[in-house]
Amino acid sequence: MKRVDFFLAYFLLAVIQILITNYLHLSYFITLTILPVMVLSIPIRYSTNAALFIAFATGISVDLLADGVLGLNTLALVPVAFLRNTTISLVFGEEMFSRKEDFSVRRNGFTKVALAILFVQALFLIIYITADGAGTRPFWFNLLRFVCSLITGFIVSLVAVEALSPEGRS
Amino acid sequence: MPRQRRLIPILISTAIFILMEIAALNMISSNGSLQRHWIARGAHRIQGTLWGGTEGVKYYFQLRKINRDLAAENGSLREDLAYYKAIVDDARLDTMKLGILEGRGFTYIPAEIEKISRNRQHNYIIINRGSEDGVLENSGIVTGKGVVGIIDAVEKHHSYALSFMNPDISISARLGDKGAVGPLVWDGRSSRRAILREIPLQYKYQEGDTVYTSGYSSIFPPDIPLGTAGASKVINGATNEIKVRLFQDFSTIRYVTVVSNTSQRELEALEDK
Repeated sequence: MKRVDFFLAYFLLAVIQILITNYLHLSYFITLTILPVMVLSIPIRYSTNAALFIAFATGISVDLLADGVLGLNTLALVPVAFLRNTTISLVFGEEMFSRKEDFSVRRNGFTKVALAILFVQALFLIIYITADGAGTRPFWFNLLRFVCSLITGFIVSLVAVEALSPEGRS
Repeated sequence: MPRQRRLIPILISTAIFILMEIAALNMISSNGSLQRHWIARGAHRIQGTLWGGTEGVKYYFQLRKINRDLAAENGSLREDLAYYKAIVDDARLDTMKLGILEGRGFTYIPAEIEKISRNRQHNYIIINRGSEDGVLENSGIVTGKGVVGIIDAVEKHHSYALSFMNPDISISARLGDKGAVGPLVWDGRSSRRAILREIPLQYKYQEGDTVYTSGYSSIFPPDIPLGTAGASKVINGATNEIKVRLFQDFSTIRYVTVVSNTSQRELEALEDK
């Protein structure tokens, strides 16, 4: 079977994210996003700087084409790219970089992948929800929104990470 | 050398990251009014903390001069005290002074200005009192000679205020003892001049009449003398605009009083309803 290019899969997922943001409003308490896991899945051969630029471009594209305050997704997504290498080395180990091997559920196990997804998803949501609320919403509202969004985002991200993994694309 | 080699890419990535975050914040600030206010307040808090810290170091090396200034200030305050005692003795305290002495739902916190800008279009003040001293956001800053500004952001030991020398600040003011009320705004040029707007044409006044705070806002108590009325001009054939010479000279200001309305939250809640 022909292997699908990573960036084609990445582009399709970005389009799906734009459609989700525009048309799938589940609740005030749910911000459904797969952007963090998309940035986390950028192949290891790309440097942090490259990941930063990809994340910035993705964030701006989603901000421009989807409803909401311009810049929110960019603000929350760039830190995910900045901490991508740190997350990978903490969860999967330094040897991922020496072997230049991309992570996947099959290679690294469900627990480690889930942990990495939860970390980047949480980082993204904390920044996004804080900036979106701009100090006007009560703490309990933000907390509930964070928990609901983390759970739903995690489930959808598991599908996205599979689509972006080397095995999923082959 | 290997450590340096590792450090340089990290520094470059950090710089790119910071630039991208600033760009994102800038986009948010330009497109969301809530977020713009939130970001501005955050920036003011950081400014307040940073400037408060640097000013602390500067003051340490200027203690001798500060002592001299304090002695001079002390002398001047004694003169003022004697003056006010004479007024009390003559039983000529007007309602404003009684208002300040008795409180009338306002608390007063003495403070010192740590930093003040005077040459900008949007001027600010940083004072050495913060939340731990009981300062609240949206409190007023006054002196014996008038209104100085409004607290915008509060840190533990410092507060950031918008100066009256700021086009965004408007104070509800009254012309004379029982006269017409209108917004008083800075004229945008001089540190001693302001403009009293929206005074009805039928209201007659004399040049030299005193302008007071009206007390219609929850920030400042009524009857604080602000300045004297000067020439006027008719605007759109409907209202008078009166030039006001302020009592307070912003170029010499140092010691101020933070005035907080103890009922402010209750009043704001009523307004929200």
